[in-house]
Amino acid sequence: MEEIQQRRRLVVVGNGMAGINTVEHILKLAPNSYHITIFGGEPYPNYNRIQLSYVLEKSKAIEEIILNDYAWYEENGIDLYTGTEVTAIDTEQKTVEANNGVKVTYDQLIIATGSRPFMLPVPGADKQGIIGFRDIADCEQMLRTADVYKKAAVIGGGLLGLEAAKGLSKLGMDVTVVHLFKELMERQLDATAARMLQTELESQGLKFATGKQTAEFLGSERVSGIRFADGTELETEFVVMAAGIKPNIELAKASGIEVNRGIMVDDYMRTSAPDVYAIGECNEHRGVSYGLVAPLFEQGAVLAKHLCGVDTEPYEGSTVSTQLKISGVDVFSAGEFMDAEDLSIVRMHDDWRRIYKKVLMRGGRIVGGILIGDGREMSRLQQWIRTGTVMTEAIHTAIVGQGAPDTANTVAELADDEIVCGCNGVSKKNIVDAISENGLTTVEEIKATTSACRSCGGCRPVVEQILQHVLGDQYDSAAAKKEAICACTTLSRDEVVREIKEKGLITSKEVRYALEWNNKEGCSKCRPALNYYLGMIWPQEHVDERDSRLVNERMHANIQKDGTFGVVPRMYGGVTTPEDLRLIADIAVKYNVKMVKVTGGQRLDLLGIKKEDLPNIWKDLGMPSGYAYAKALRTVKTCVGSQFCRFGTKDSMGMGILIEKKFERLDMPAKFKMAVNGCPRNCAESATKDIGIVGNEGAWEIYVGGNGGIKARLAELLCKVRTDEELLEIIAAFIQHYRETGKYLERTSDWVERVGLQSIADTVVNDLDNRRALVERIEQALGQVQEPWNEILENSNLREKMFDDLSVSTVKE
Amino acid sequence: MMSLPKPEQDYTYYRVGTVDDFMERIGRKVMIEQSNVAVFKTSEGEWYALENKSPGPKGGTLAEGIVSGTVLYDPICDWRIRLSDGQVLDPDTGQVRTYPVQIEGNDVRIGIPKDGGGKDNG
Ligand code: SRM
Ligand SMILES: Cc1cc2nc3c(=O)[nH]c(=O)nc-3n(C[C@H](O)[C@H](O)[C@H](O)COP(=O)(O)OP(=O)(O)OC[C@H]3O[C@@H](n4cnc5c(N)ncnc54)[C@H](O)[C@@H]3O)c2cc1C
Ligand code: SF4
Ligand code: FES
Repeated sequence: MEEIQQRRRLVVVGNGMAGINTVEHILKLAPNSYHITIFGGEPYPNYNRIQLSYVLEKSKAIEEIILNDYAWYEENGIDLYTGTEVTAIDTEQKTVEANNGVKVTYDQLIIATGSRPFMLPVPGADKQGIIGFRDIADCEQMLRTADVYKKAAVIGGGLLGLEAAKGLSKLGMDVTVVHLFKELMERQLDATAARMLQTELESQGLKFATGKQTAEFLGSERVSGIRFADGTELETEFVVMAAGIKPNIELAKASGIEVNRGIMVDDYMRTSAPDVYAIGECNEHRGVSYGLVAPLFEQGAVLAKHLCGVDTEPYEGSTVSTQLKISGVDVFSAGEFMDAEDLSIVRMHDDWRRIYKKVLMRGGRIVGGILIGDGREMSRLQQWIRTGTVMTEAIHTAIVGQGAPDTANTVAELADDEIVCGCNGVSKKNIVDAISENGLTTVEEIKATTSACRSCGGCRPVVEQILQHVLGDQYDSAAAKKEAICACTTLSRDEVVREIKEKGLITSKEVRYALEWNNKEGCSKCRPALNYYLGMIWPQEHVDERDSRLVNERMHANIQKDGTFGVVPRMYGGVTTPEDLRLIADIAVKYNVKMVKVTGGQRLDLLGIKKEDLPNIWKDLGMPSGYAYAKALRTVKTCVGSQFCRFGTKDSMGMGILIEKKFERLDMPAKFKMAVNGCPRNCAESATKDIGIVGNEGAWEIYVGGNGGIKARLAELLCKVRTDEELLEIIAAFIQHYRETGKYLERTSDWVERVGLQSIADTVVNDLDNRRALVERIEQALGQVQEPWNEILENSNLREKMFDDLSVSTVKE
Repeated sequence: MMSLPKPEQDYTYYRVGTVDDFMERIGRKVMIEQSNVAVFKTSEGEWYALENKSPGPKGGTLAEGIVSGTVLYDPICDWRIRLSDGQVLDPDTGQVRTYPVQIEGNDVRIGIPKDGGGKDNG
């Protein structure tokens, strides 16, 4: 108690990235010197605002972008008030007052109130359906809107606007980006780069209205359109304003603290009031208010040292760089980027590959640059700009030269203070020190110790390279990437699988007990994973645990957002008959199916089916399940092949059907897709399949590890075989090897990269004994599979309990 | 959002079936008048009834979620929901309406508030 009273009282207003980053530094530098109280206007702990773009495009869930969970505040003895706004600061009495009535005294106060979207002050701006893009609440509103409305307009063609537009478009909206200037991201890109970016985004489905000044929002209560200054109009049902931000200065201003555009601070983040500091987007330093995170981290480091009495250089401003977070669109810009008289420029423009690189020099020193279409040199370019490096032959080659740069050297060359993890402001030196001081050997440990990699994960490859570089020979690539399978245990996938085999564990309950899970019944991550591993290891003994299957695999259908289901029957190799088509059509009519759709997997999807109708439809169809929901073989796409095609060298349809029938229903670590083609023209797209087979005159080529999904990857040639028997044998061995060594949810694209193509080829192609043993094991497993729809139809008890609703109306008791 | 349980006399109990109509750790949807209820039986033999409506941003149902101890993983958004009071657990927020369950002999009975529970969200 006594000790706590002696601590100085630090109060932080604003529970965002800048404020909490500073607090984290303070806790590291002087763990016991402050009693900390934090006020945050939002009802969440500190989260990664940058990644709202990912939440919007649904590649991340909100819980994945939390940076500091509630436990963190508790562990560090921080008093946290979320959903609470500070309304007044008394700089003389040194107190702050919040809208929940709490009043706290401070010795030191940090204002970190961030900023808010700038809402264009034009007539109609207060109509419904017009919002900014700043926080989780905005994001949620956008997600809800996309469900109901079709047409959206985003005002502002900068970083934020484009990410918002892309997100909304991914949600299925028809999106137009309205931009005042002719060129997108005009504060970061030159005309050439802006044009390339626009073309790329147009090809992805975005529309643009550039050179348009918004004059008025139309509509009665809700916005229905925009009128521009030139008299033209755009119809829209939803508007996102991303035309700039406004620092939140009102609180400081009302408290008599000096403000301009932002809250004025000096090189140590001091405001005009004693012991009051301002940090992040709300401040103005040497005339600049920043809108990106890198400067905030630099400011935070200086302020934390200052508050903890550690010697520090003053903060003298930041060189900012911009990177667009839209997948498949590499856009990077830093420092000066426009042609000018006193600048010399190295430029590389390749319209065919859609790459543009520009490096600007003043007096031979690099002062800025743009990279479009190829961002590999991003972090080095940023470093060269920051340190004003002189252009050399080597740098020139690295940027505009031919060969890919040697990555190992890249890490060695990186300066100590270069920020490796942009999300969390972790420098190369932080990582190197953490590795050597704490004897770290894995990326997970680095993540826990330094916070690098904790957010978007984009820096993971570089962190891995640094680890490799520091450890040298001691680097163990497998161990370095070790990850626990979920938060219920510290064991990795390989350890769990080994223990299951060694200890002879058969049910997932036994696994959780014997391996001391800290959560008795497991979680939604480990439950399905353990069920898979057990089934893979004990194909005959393990009884499938229905209650550990995620919804789609439990119901054997694809759940939709409104709770109805999709039914996809098998259509082996994409080949059907008039009779089957007629049957499907009749059933679609009988059950009033909402939509019949041809899937990307060459078959038909019956959409919008009520749960209780599922078994009846299966029965009427009398076709096997197409497993469109499963971590198992989905489809084997085929082309026309030698049966009809004038180029066909092989019977691709025949082989595809054979393969699909042979390997269907078997559980795998993740979904699995195949294709068989009659010739290298590849009409059934082997290059993006887990296994893609290409017929040649007298041989089959087997490609593996392709993926057309989130992280697209081209399949690589595993081998060429002469006979159909050999083809089937190698496919079988490959699948079984993947089943035995893949992590649950790991597609072959990641697995092939992790395990290595050569090692896979050695195991399933070259080592004949091993190949045969793998084939034997998969045959055993294949002997156990059952048709799931039929299984349920035959078990009336199961069918009733799983698919029929109970209902009660008037019989009260 | 936190709603306190109502006194017993404010509920009307409906018999919805027998204990054998339900599987352990696999939810089942029950329609009681206008109320759509998801009923769960845990491996410890405890019974819970929640409004069959995901609290997540996308909506959807709850009955198909994974049950672990007394926590339900939302089948649509994977949020963690405490079965006993419907509270959404960290880091997400929200609360699902719950209904009392009585087991009498073999019968499963679920209580629906007499005032209809004051239909929220209109
Ligand atoms: C029906 C279908 C879309 C269509 O109408 O064409 C479809 C529908 C869904 N896909 Fe797909 N995918 C479909 C072909 C594809 C393809 C194309 C293909 O198979 O040739 C791909 C890219 C190729 C690939 O996987 O390599 C594809 C990549 C994904 C991914 C990303 C996978 C990845 O590893 O990156 C997901 C998400 C996931 O699996 O976690 C996904 C997930 C989904 C889910 C199951 C999402 C879900 O969990 O609810 C969708 C169900 C929709 C619904 O409401 O019923 N779907 N999905 C296609 C079914 C094919 C079939 O007949 O079985
Ligand atoms: C969608 C999106 C994408 C982005 N992408 C990038 C990117 O790729 N790269 C990049 O560098 N930057 C990006 N940014 C910008 C980056 O998120 C911000 O620079 C950063 O979050 C600013 O941190 P801050 O702490 O100053 O403000 P915030 O993170 O906004 O935190 C301020 C907090 O203070 C609270 N607050 C305000 N007033 C009060 C009060 N009176 N009492 C209590 N609490 C109060 C607010 O509610 C808020 O939670 C992006 C921003 C958005 C919105
Ligand atoms: S891949 Fe070859 S054989 Fe198959 S349809 Fe195309 S051209 Fe014909
Ligand atoms: S750069 Fe995003 S986590 Fe490191």
